[in-house]
Amino acid sequence: MSDSADKPKKKPKRPLGKVRLIPAACIACGARCQAECPVDAIEMNDKGEPIIDLEKCIGCRKCIKVCPAAALEHFYTPEELVILEELKKTAEKAKEELPKEEVAEPERRADESYKGVWVFVEQLDGCAASVSWELLGVGKTLANDLNVELAAFILGHEIAHLIKEAFAYGAQKVYIIDDPLLKEYRTETYLRGTVDLVNKYKPEVVLMGATGLGRDLAGAVATVLNAGLTADCTGLAIDKEKRLLEQTRPAFGGNIMATILTQWHRPQMATVRPHVMPKPTPIADAAGEVIREKLNLTESEVKARVLEIVREEAADHIDIAGAEVLVSGGRGMLGPENFKILDELARILGGTVSSSRAAVDAGWMPYERQVGQTGKTVRPKIYIACGISGAIQHLVGMQDSQLIIAINRDKDAPILEVADYGIVGDVFQVVPALIQELKQMVEDRNKCSA
Amino acid sequence: MLSPVENVLFGIIFTLAVVMFLKSSIELVRLVLVGKPDNRLKGQIWKRILSMLEYAFLQKRVVSERYGINHFVIFWGFIVLLFANIEFVLAGLFPGFAYHKIIGATLGRLAYFCFDVVSLAMIASMAVAYFRRLVIKPSHIEYRSPEGFIILSLIVGLMMAFFGLHGAEIAMGKAFAPNAMPFSRYVVAPLLTNVSPSTLVVMTKIFWWLHALIFLFFLNYLPFSKHMHILWAIPNCFCRSYERIPIVPREEFNIGRPSGVSIVDEFSWKDLLDFFSCTECGRCNANCPATTVGKVLNPRLIIHDGKVNLRANGTKIRNGNRTNRLLPLITEETNRAGSISEEALWACTTCGACMANCPVFIEHVPKIIKMRRHLAENLAKFPEELAVFFEAEEQRSNPWGIAPAERDKWAKDANLRRFVEGSNPEYLLYAGCAASFDSRNKKVCLAVVKALTAAGISFGILGNEEKCCGDSLRRLGNEFVFEKFAKANVAQFEKLGVKKIITICPHCYSTFKNDYPQFGFGAEVHHHSEFLPRLVREGKLELKGTNGFGRVLFHDSCYLGRHNDIYEQPRELIVCATGQRALEFDRRLAKSFCCGAGGGRMWMEEHPEQRVNINRVKEALEKKPDVIAVACPYCMTMFTDGAKDLKAQDKVHVLDIAEIVAESIKV
Repeated sequence: MSDSADKPKKKPKRPLGKVRLIPAACIACGARCQAECPVDAIEMNDKGEPIIDLEKCIGCRKCIKVCPAAALEHFYTPEELVILEELKKTAEKAKEELPKEEVAEPERRADESYKGVWVFVEQLDGCAASVSWELLGVGKTLANDLNVELAAFILGHEIAHLIKEAFAYGAQKVYIIDDPLLKEYRTETYLRGTVDLVNKYKPEVVLMGATGLGRDLAGAVATVLNAGLTADCTGLAIDKEKRLLEQTRPAFGGNIMATILTQWHRPQMATVRPHVMPKPTPIADAAGEVIREKLNLTESEVKARVLEIVREEAADHIDIAGAEVLVSGGRGMLGPENFKILDELARILGGTVSSSRAAVDAGWMPYERQVGQTGKTVRPKIYIACGISGAIQHLVGMQDSQLIIAINRDKDAPILEVADYGIVGDVFQVVPALIQELKQMVEDRNKCSA
Repeated sequence: MLSPVENVLFGIIFTLAVVMFLKSSIELVRLVLVGKPDNRLKGQIWKRILSMLEYAFLQKRVVSERYGINHFVIFWGFIVLLFANIEFVLAGLFPGFAYHKIIGATLGRLAYFCFDVVSLAMIASMAVAYFRRLVIKPSHIEYRSPEGFIILSLIVGLMMAFFGLHGAEIAMGKAFAPNAMPFSRYVVAPLLTNVSPSTLVVMTKIFWWLHALIFLFFLNYLPFSKHMHILWAIPNCFCRSYERIPIVPREEFNIGRPSGVSIVDEFSWKDLLDFFSCTECGRCNANCPATTVGKVLNPRLIIHDGKVNLRANGTKIRNGNRTNRLLPLITEETNRAGSISEEALWACTTCGACMANCPVFIEHVPKIIKMRRHLAENLAKFPEELAVFFEAEEQRSNPWGIAPAERDKWAKDANLRRFVEGSNPEYLLYAGCAASFDSRNKKVCLAVVKALTAAGISFGILGNEEKCCGDSLRRLGNEFVFEKFAKANVAQFEKLGVKKIITICPHCYSTFKNDYPQFGFGAEVHHHSEFLPRLVREGKLELKGTNGFGRVLFHDSCYLGRHNDIYEQPRELIVCATGQRALEFDRRLAKSFCCGAGGGRMWMEEHPEQRVNINRVKEALEKKPDVIAVACPYCMTMFTDGAKDLKAQDKVHVLDIAEIVAESIKV
């Protein structure tokens, strides 16, 4: 049968490109790119460098994102470049060929009267939550990209002292509602305050910390305003062309990173977890405009009343769930006196000591330090597991840590399967060695900066 | 021999007593009917009658325990003496009435002989009962309750009055057939030879009235004491569940309609009948793992509190008051009479030992689950650590919250067929959450795969599409999420044309087999502990039969044994694999002691002094095994951790029987 001439030409798929190694840039981190690749297109050579099979590569760029040395780059193969050219030509041709009326068809647009980036300053008893300042940091970048103002909005009672802090962390304007009804957090009152402010001043982006309070408020506000909200973002950026907030967060159990756009509704809302964005350096004498507003609500209109506040008193006032660095000990520590070396390591790293259930059961550590299924769930930046086998009940409590380092005598210990770095060795040799090395690094650094 | 006045007097007292008794009993029936409908009585009438005869009349479960034979004697003694008492009452109402005047002298003699001998047997059994309570002193405190002693004493009183009466009659020469009543004639009467006739007359009157009053008092004491079990136990056996393990019914989810049970009338009438049928024998307690390790859970107390609660609230509820000043059914306190403590409810492992040992077929576990439903679904009030579990299940469909994409990592080197729409292998190997994510249990799954492959079985897996079976969710009372899982799984199996399933975990097995039919599931389900032996029997799997494992101790998992009657098959498998029989626990088969992880307890914390698994592992170590053989991932975890806690992890290995089989396959 004759082929092609009668068949309509099939539109070629837009090529995604491929990835290649930048020569000499690989630091042989341990095949993170290979682990990340969803189509097994990467093999490692003897030097620990990746060899990418271009046939298999689908151009998803996951390896580029995970490479700690930025040693991989994206490119289009010559064949793909040809296809891209063709597509460009077809697109331009199609655009030209459109009758004028069709081109002028109105597109759906977002309300462009909304301008400005706002950050919610969360406070408890007059103390601001650190995440608010972190958000002002990233907010500044977003505001600059959009060429608009960065503002902070504060709700509470007797919280005027926070205005100065907001300016110090980068806000150019501060909106404040100071009202006795806002003394303790209640959804209705804070919701009303936020919604009134947003409706009056129309920011295009509103950011909140993904704390318990933030999650409660953000969802309510987004619902009332009929706005889009992405929770727990790990990345925020601006698509300058379309003036859209690119809200990036892990999805499908952490298997992909999804970038979400709320195209047609304003404001675009996002919440970010604490300790994800860096906190900017405060500038002491910063100042700006303060706009005071009233809360349009009376006590009788509010259905909820705060009857009692019960504060949790931790036995030794340590909350491992908030720590950025955790040094954790398990059955392998063999005894309570051996936790001293973990204390030392934690001290140097500015972290806290936690433990597995085995150590708590044995009476070596109090229950508040237990990490695991029946203990606390932690997400520190660094989790160092010493003498912990990594049974699944423990993993539940720490598997979302950003970096996991495991030290265990047993090379088959399950913890080594989830650790980013695993050291097969005796804790009582490795940890003191680590402490020694770290102390030296601190000394050297002090010497240099002196 | 009663005077006419006495006849009339007795007539009045008797009528009053009977009316009072009927009133009390009808009140109890009305209380039971306060419960919700339960349509278990459809059909099976003959099966139920036979069961009633076997268990209520032949006392099958009662006699299987120590001293059970004593109760058998008392029970049948009561039945025989019922006829004696009928004659007694009729004689009191109609002067001169006696059996021999109706049934003739020979049969009459036979009857009197029976009454005499049985009364003696009753006294003997009472003596045994006293002896057991006061001297032997079983550890269960139930045996020394005041009510128990009162009842024993009343019965002894009745017997003494009987012998006193008949002995005196014989001594007076007024008995019909003195030689037919050996004890009265040869033991009691001789004691009265020197008593004057007039005194004898007075004595007969005294003994007669004593007997009458005790009898009528007892009759009316019945409905208020635990002895009312004699009214309810027989119908309760008739109404028993025929499921291997009573399955809790589905919940009807409707807006505005709370789920579970928080007020006593939300139980079904069968549940309420259970409360009244309890004989307070305490066998449930004796076999309950939670009670054994000293936890607050006390199955007998749960039933007792249910009874007290129903009696306290019943009238108010029948009058339409379901909210005002009712004695709460569930409470945070741990020793409020008539209220069940939350702590007790969460301590249950759903092992079923209570139900398996109950002589009158009370169903403890479904009641506990129904009350857990109220706590979990209406109040969201449960031990904190369950929040982690529930969230992980809801979001990632596995108990540990691990990304579903990792679910088939265990199979990456095994090159197994996946179930897809279209043609599929014969069996679905359902790995379950433990085998998919827990590194220890992955090895068990691979062992089963090895065995199935060696036997040439056509099977495939679901891989990443597999979701949790939802077992723990249902046992913890989170029925709403369980339904979601059940419906999704059933739909998935149907879509893929799954007809036969092999599971690695007994909980998945039991849930598919016993719970999923409520959702329209109809496939054939197997567990490897009974499927692999079948393969060996059919010659498809050949095992070496030489023991390289040393002393192998086998543990009966609750969800295989008590829940599904799988006892012999895993033992058979061990014999085929190692060539010798496994060692046995003392607490084995239907009396096997739970590992402590069932009923969602795997996901909850336990006080170090009250660890169920430690109790069981200590028992295991007494047998000095080299290997403890289990067939369940929960048991695997519990035994392994228990051994580590007791510092025995170098002395003993915990292996799944599949692993024993895998190593014994003839190449």
